Amino acid sequence: MYELAGIRKVFADGSVALEDLSLRVGPGEHVAFIGPSGAGKTTLFRILNLTLRPTAGTLIFEGQDVAGLSDAGLRRVRTRIGTIYQQQNLVGRLRVVHNVLAGHLGRWSTATALASLVRPRDVAGAGRALEQVGMPEKLWARTDELSGGQQQRVAIARVLVQDPDVILADEPVSAVDPSLAVSIVTLLRDLSHESRKTLLMNLHSVDLALGYFPRIVGVRDGRVRFDLSPDRVGPELLAELYAGHRDEERQLERLRDGQNPLGAACRPLPGFRK
Amino acid sequence: MARIPSAPPADRFRASGSRRRFPYLFTAVFAASVLFSLRAAQVDPRRLLEGDALGNVAKFVRGMFPPRLDGEFLGLMARPAIETVQISVMGTAIAVALGVPLGLLATSSLTWRGVLHERTSRTGRWLLGFAPYAAARAVLSVFRAIPEYVWAFMFVRAVGLGPFAGVLAIGVAYGGMLGKVYSEILENVSPRPLETLRAAGASRLGVALYGLVPQALPNVIAYTLYRWECAIRASAILGFVGAGGLGQQIELSMRMFQFDEVLTLLAILFVLVASVDVLSGRIRGWVA
Repeated sequence: MYELAGIRKVFADGSVALEDLSLRVGPGEHVAFIGPSGAGKTTLFRILNLTLRPTAGTLIFEGQDVAGLSDAGLRRVRTRIGTIYQQQNLVGRLRVVHNVLAGHLGRWSTATALASLVRPRDVAGAGRALEQVGMPEKLWARTDELSGGQQQRVAIARVLVQDPDVILADEPVSAVDPSLAVSIVTLLRDLSHESRKTLLMNLHSVDLALGYFPRIVGVRDGRVRFDLSPDRVGPELLAELYAGHRDEERQLERLRDGQNPLGAACRPLPGFRK
Repeated sequence: MARIPSAPPADRFRASGSRRRFPYLFTAVFAASVLFSLRAAQVDPRRLLEGDALGNVAKFVRGMFPPRLDGEFLGLMARPAIETVQISVMGTAIAVALGVPLGLLATSSLTWRGVLHERTSRTGRWLLGFAPYAAARAVLSVFRAIPEYVWAFMFVRAVGLGPFAGVLAIGVAYGGMLGKVYSEILENVSPRPLETLRAAGASRLGVALYGLVPQALPNVIAYTLYRWECAIRASAILGFVGAGGLGQQIELSMRMFQFDEVLTLLAILFVLVASVDVLSGRIRGWVA
């Protein structure tokens, strides 16, 4: 699916976000990315969805080097990559149906897109997607009237309508409360499993990553620190990954003390049992 | 190794040092200019009380009462009143027609800066983005910098006395203002939905339709309606240089010292502005 080699990203202000990052993700894989804030995870995801261009290194998507793509070529590849963001990147003033149908924009002509704003095109498809995320009754609601968790479901419904090969979820649950977090992560996992989509997720909470993903990539200082199955990600590795980041170290302490903030919803964490 | 930024998309173009100092510097310069202007503009309230200043004002006001309200005069004034509304509507329409395309070009986030252009090459950004952006900004500045009064004066020379000169003057001057404000509204929409749509493969027009327009539309409509209100008042002023409407009648009555007629005309103008205010308030409430 993805082949990254020697990816480096330097921003205009000279700060280095990613440094010699290499990674390979196969089709249908589920991978969680963890690491302290500022590690470069979000930048990595914005490179993976072709929003940012890496300063150096190659990004190969399905055997195709994306560096030389034309505008139209980029659009074609982008329609195959669905992204869910930390914040609700929806337009609050539009009805839910339009935000969901925006998933079609990569395929629709401008005329179709405009016509659909007046008279929605694929209402059935939008309804099905909303049903899959468990809120079919919100089809005609105004998006800014929904709660944060509901809006995140709308964002997922949009990605379902887009029907990409890969779903990138950049901290999809850090803005919703913990009980919802589990249900959204499982929803994304199950939906992408059913439709054989690759799922890459950035996660702030280590327990969600270890509990729900078969492959964990630790990122720190713009580099991959480890790339392991969850049973091999022990407390020492995590302590090293988060060293110097107070908030996240506290999260690890809670895990070690058995105070799982997500409660029984999460499987017991290997290496943390007393 | 360099510092790793926790860069959220919107804050990627962080303010540089000079930009952060700007507000303080600006406040100081602004305060100084107010103090300086107080003297230079000869602001001196005492002059209002000297000599026959008040007497002249009183004469003017006394002459206004009773206002002339006979049927003949009111009947005669119906036409200029309607003409004033027509000038403002057509003027605003032309202003929108000029302001929308120029405003779009003058929006940096649409033409060359920010998240939609991350993958555009540097030369592409300058040639196809920054050059038209700068040109549109310059044109808008010229439109705005020249007062509508002066525009009207020029257009009266070009197309002759009458409402059309007023329409053109309002169209050009207000086109400059609308374009500038449209570009500011568009630059201030949240870039996150735009990035999301772009990342899902939407074309630039698709991003505009589903991300930009819905976010910006209420403000664009509200400001356009506000400008329409202003255009009614402006069309009265433009009448003074012969661009038709109520203004021309006010000027005629003033020149003949018929202050009772002036009061009636001002009252009509007030009613017009107030009704437009009510109407635009309704529309604003409806689109919000």
